[in-house]
Amino acid sequence: MSARIVKPGAIGQPFSRVDGRLKVTGKATFAAEYKVENVAHGALVFSQIARGKIKNIETSAARNAPGVILVLTHENAPEMKKTPVFGSDSEEMGAASSSILYLNTDEVYFNGQPVAVVVAETLEQAEHAATLVAVEYEEKQAKLILQAEKPDAVLPEHIPGEPSDLKQGDAEGALAEALYKVDNIYTTPPFNHNAIELHATLAEWSEDEKSLTVYDSTQYVIGVQEMLAKKFSLRKENVRVIGSFVGGGFGGKGNAWAHVSLTVAAAKVVKRPVKLVLSREGVHLSVGGRTPTEQRVALAANDVGKLTALIHTGFTQTTEHNNFAEQFTFPARHLYKSENIWLRQEMVHLDIVPNTFMRAPGESPGTFALESAIDELAHEMGIDPIELRARNEPDRDPVKDLPFSMRNIKEAYRVGAEMFGWSKRHAAPRTMRDGRFLIGCGVATAFYPAYQFPAAARVEIHADGTAIAQSAMHEMGMGSATAQAQNLADELGLSFEQVRFEYGDSNFPYAPVAGGSNSTISVGAAVKAACDDAKKKIHGLVGEDDASPLKGTRFDEVEFREGGIYRRDDATKGETFHAILRRFEEDKIEGEGEAAPGAESEKYSMGSYGALFCEVRVDEETGEVRVSRFLGVYDCGKIINPKTASSQWRGGITMGIGMALTEEALFDVRKGRIVNPSLAEYHLPVNLDVPNIEIHFLDIPDPLTPMGAHGVGEIGITGVAAAVANAVFNATGKRIRDLPITLDKLL
Amino acid sequence: MRAYLPDYELRVPKDLEEALAFLANEPGMWKPFAGGTDLMVLLEAGKLEHTKFFSVWNLAELRGIEVTDESVTLGALTTYTEVRRNSILQEEFPMLCVAARETGGIAIQNRGTIGGNIVNASPAADSPPALLAYDAELELLSSKGARKIPYKDFHTGYKQMKLRDDELLTGIRLPRTTKSLRHYYRKVGTRKAQAISKVCFAGVAKIEDESVADVRIALGSVAPIVLRCEKTEAVLRGKSVDERTISAARAALINEIAPIDDIRSTAKYRLRVAANLLEDFLKTVRDGELN
Ligand SMILES: Cc1cc2nc3c(=O)[nH]c(=O)nc-3n(C[C@H](O)[C@H](O)[C@H](O)COP(=O)(O)OP(=O)(O)OC[C@H]3O[C@@H](n4cnc5c(N)ncnc54)[C@H](O)[C@@H]3O)c2cc1C
Repeated sequence: MSARIVKPGAIGQPFSRVDGRLKVTGKATFAAEYKVENVAHGALVFSQIARGKIKNIETSAARNAPGVILVLTHENAPEMKKTPVFGSDSEEMGAASSSILYLNTDEVYFNGQPVAVVVAETLEQAEHAATLVAVEYEEKQAKLILQAEKPDAVLPEHIPGEPSDLKQGDAEGALAEALYKVDNIYTTPPFNHNAIELHATLAEWSEDEKSLTVYDSTQYVIGVQEMLAKKFSLRKENVRVIGSFVGGGFGGKGNAWAHVSLTVAAAKVVKRPVKLVLSREGVHLSVGGRTPTEQRVALAANDVGKLTALIHTGFTQTTEHNNFAEQFTFPARHLYKSENIWLRQEMVHLDIVPNTFMRAPGESPGTFALESAIDELAHEMGIDPIELRARNEPDRDPVKDLPFSMRNIKEAYRVGAEMFGWSKRHAAPRTMRDGRFLIGCGVATAFYPAYQFPAAARVEIHADGTAIAQSAMHEMGMGSATAQAQNLADELGLSFEQVRFEYGDSNFPYAPVAGGSNSTISVGAAVKAACDDAKKKIHGLVGEDDASPLKGTRFDEVEFREGGIYRRDDATKGETFHAILRRFEEDKIEGEGEAAPGAESEKYSMGSYGALFCEVRVDEETGEVRVSRFLGVYDCGKIINPKTASSQWRGGITMGIGMALTEEALFDVRKGRIVNPSLAEYHLPVNLDVPNIEIHFLDIPDPLTPMGAHGVGEIGITGVAAAVANAVFNATGKRIRDLPITLDKLL
Repeated sequence: MRAYLPDYELRVPKDLEEALAFLANEPGMWKPFAGGTDLMVLLEAGKLEHTKFFSVWNLAELRGIEVTDESVTLGALTTYTEVRRNSILQEEFPMLCVAARETGGIAIQNRGTIGGNIVNASPAADSPPALLAYDAELELLSSKGARKIPYKDFHTGYKQMKLRDDELLTGIRLPRTTKSLRHYYRKVGTRKAQAISKVCFAGVAKIEDESVADVRIALGSVAPIVLRCEKTEAVLRGKSVDERTISAARAALINEIAPIDDIRSTAKYRLRVAANLLEDFLKTVRDGELN
C-alpha cells in the first residue's frame, strides 16, 4: 500500500462563520430587507385592555389619514382558519403561538393583542394612522397575577413528553426525618428574548391568489409554511417561506406570532405585497417571553452528604389559548441521585400574551433553583459544593433508569477547578475582599438534553468538484451553516472551501424548528444520509465502468477524499468527481436523505453538561454586582467548530449574566401591560458587564449521535444564574432566591 | 408610539441672530435642537411637546472650550467626547470627565451635549451633579441680551428652570478654584453602562488641619431636580471627619433629599446608597485616596 497524506477533516477546525462577512458588510438580507416592488407597509393596533370584547372600533380617521390603503379589523378581515398551536398536538406539529383567531374575533385575551392592521404607502403613515384607530371595549375581569391564581392551578397532562408529577419513594417523609436539609422557594421574573432583529414579515401573493411567498424572521420556515397553507386554504407547495438570515431568535421566533398571518391577510386584501416590522414595543406587546416561575426546591442529605430527598415543585403561568408548560423540573430529573424524588409542575392560566420558548426553556429557571439549593446544602453541611455534587453523581439516569450515552461532569469540574483556581476560594462567606469590594466565587452545573428530530437534506456534487447541500434549516447566528458545511466537506471528502450549505427556505427539504438545540445533529444526520445517497450513485457509475480504475469494487472498498473516489487498499487507484462527471457527461450528481433519531437513543439518557465557575465583586455601599471572571467547561460531545461553539457558550453565559443580575419584564398588575418595553429599561448586559469569559470543552464524542456531537446552543445559559447567585452568597453571605439580583436586594 | 414626522418642522438658521429670532418672534413655539439625543427619544415615543425645532449644531458661538486664568467656559454644544479629551478638564474638573465617560455609549458621547443635558433637565442626568459641585455658572442669551445665573439656582422643579422662552443656553462657566480640592464621583446603575442612574453622587472637598475647609456635594436621581446639598455641606464645614460628623452628615443628607420609588429603584435604596456614598466620599477625601 502506498503512503499518502491524510488531510485533517473540516470537523473540529475553528472556521469563521460563513455568513460573517456578509453580515458585517451589510450584504446578508434579512426578512424586512428583501426588495419587493410596490410594497405597502403595515402597522398593528394593540389592545389596551387585558380581557374583554371589542364594542366598537372606529377606523374612519385612520382610513382618511394620508397614504392609508386599508384598515383591517375583525369586521373586514378575511377568514383565517384555526391551525394547531406549537407543541400542543403531538400528531401535528403546529406553528401558531396561540389558538386566538386574531382579527376573526372580537374577543380580547391579553393587553397587547393586535386588534387592527393599518396598511399605508409608507411605514410612517401606517404607524401614524394606527394611532388614530379608536377602540371601545367591554372590559372583563382579567386574571393577571400568578400568585393570586395559584389556588386554581392545574396539573398539565405532560410537560414536553414527561410526566408533570413524578414520585419515587417518599421524599416528604425523608425530608422530615433528615439530618441535613434545605427547603426554599425560588422565583424568577418574566423575561423577554429581545433579539436584535425585530420580528418582520413580508408577504407577496401571486396574481391568481393561489400562491404565496413570505419572507419572515422565523426559526421555523416549514412550520410557518404549513400554518399559512392551512390558514389561507392553499396547497402547501404553493406557499414558500424564506428566512435566510435571522438576527437572533432565542425561541421568540419559533412560533408564528399574530403579525405573520395578519400581514398575509392584509396583502391579500390590498392585492399588493405588504411588509410589517414590529417596533421594539410591538415585540414586547405581541410576542410572548418566558413565564415567571415560583419553584420550591427541598433537599435532604445523610451525614455523608448523600441525598435522601430531592423535591422540585412549583408553578409557571400560561394562557388558555396556548397552554405552554415551561419544564423547569427537567434538570432535577437527570442531575442527581437521590433515594426519594418528588417533582411536580403546575400551571396557572392568566390573561396575558402567550408565553413561549426562551433560551433553554425549563432548564434556565430550573437550574437556577436546583443549583442554588445544592450550594445551600453544601454550605449547610460544610462540604465543598463540587464535592457534594460528586457524591451524588448518578451512574444511571435517576428517573428514567437508563444508562447515560455520555456523561463527564466530574471531569468537567476537575478541569474547571484547576483552570479557575477553585482551591484558593474561601468557603466562608464575606472572607474575601479587595478594598470596598467583597469577592465571592461560586459554581453550578449546566445541563441541557441532547435532542435530535427528523430532518431531510439534499446534496449536489458538481462537475467542477464543488458541492452544495440544502435543508430548510435556520441560521440565526449560531454557526449552524458553518458547522453543516464542515460536515458536508468531510462526508464528501472535499475541502471546506469547495462546499456550500443552503438553508432558510421552505423549498428545501424538511428541517425542524431551530429549537431545543437540535439543528446540528438533526440536520447533520440528514446531510450525511444525502451524501451517502450521492456517493452510492457515484460509485454505481464507476463500479461497473470499464474505463474506471474502480471497476469491480464494492462500496465498502472505496473512500471519498480530495475531491474524488479512491480504493481503500490502493490509494493510487481512483478518480476525481470532475473526471467521472465529465466522462458520463453529467453536470451534477444529486443525493437525497432523511434521518431520525435511532432506536438506540430510546435506550439511553442523552444530555449535555457543563461545570460553571464564577467570580463576582460586590460593592458593599451600593450593592452593585460585577461578574469579574467566568469559566465554562463543557461536556457536549465532539465539537464540530471550536470557534462557533465557544461563541455560542459565551453568548449563553452573557444571557445568563443578564438573567442573574439585570433582566426583568415589568408589568402593570392592574392592566397587564408591560411597562419597560424597550432596550433602555429592559436591561440586557452591556459589554462592560461581561468579563472575558473563558471557555473550555472536553471534546469527548457521544458514540450514539451523528458526528459524536451534541447541540451547543441552549446549554450556555443554563446554570449561569445559579453560579452568579452562589458567588454572590460567597461574597456577601446573602442568599438571593429571587431573580434578578438587583442592587437593592443586597443592601 | 412614534410621532408622525410630517407634523414636525426642523429648520437650520444661518447664524445666531436668526436662531434667536425664532425664539423671539413666536414665543414658546420653537425649541432648539442640539445633539438630539434626548429629543429623538421623545420623538420616537411620540412625546415631544413642540413641533417646531431649529438646529443649533452649526452655531460656532455655542462651540468650543475657552480657558482664561479665572475660568473654563464650555460652549453649550460641547460634546461628551470633547469633554473627555480636554486636558484642562481632565486636570481640574475630573468629575466632569468621568461623568462624560459614563454617559451613554460612544455614539451618544459624540453627539450629546452638555447644554442639552442641562436644559433637558432630567433629575437623573449625570453631568449636572458635577457641574453643581464645581459651582458652575450658566450663560444665557436672547435677542434682548445676555445674562448669567449660578447653576445651583437654575432648576426650580421637575423639568422647570429659569430659562425664558426667548433664551438660548450659550455657555457653562466653571471657576478654576478646584486645584486644591479632592474630587469624588459615582454613578450607580443596574448595569455598568447605558443605564439611567439610580443614584449619582458628585462631591469635592478640601481638608485643612484635619477639618473640612471646603465641601460641595450634589446628587442626581434623589429629588425632582439634580440637587446641590447645601444643608449637608453646612453640617460638614469646619468639622473634622470623624464618626460623629459622618453620622450627622448622613442624617442631614437623608433629610435634604427626597427620592421616589420608580421602575429603576426604590426610595429606600436611594436614601441608603446616597448616605453610603456620602460616607465613602468623606472617608476617601479624609484618607487621601482619590478615585
Ligand atoms: C442611549 C442614550 C443614553 C444616554 N445616556 C445618558 C447618560 O448616561 N447620562 C445622561 O445624563 N444622559 C444620557 N442620555 C441623555 C442625553 O444624551 C443627554 O441628556 C444629552 O446631553 C442631551 O444633549 P443633546 O445635545 O443631545 O440634547 P437635545 O436632545 O438636542 O436637547 C435636549 C433638550 O435641551 C434643549 N436644548 C439643547 N441645547 C440647548 C441650548 N443650547 N439652549 C437651550 N436649550 C437647549 C432642547 O431644546 C431639548 O429640550 C442618553 C441618551 C440616550 C439616547
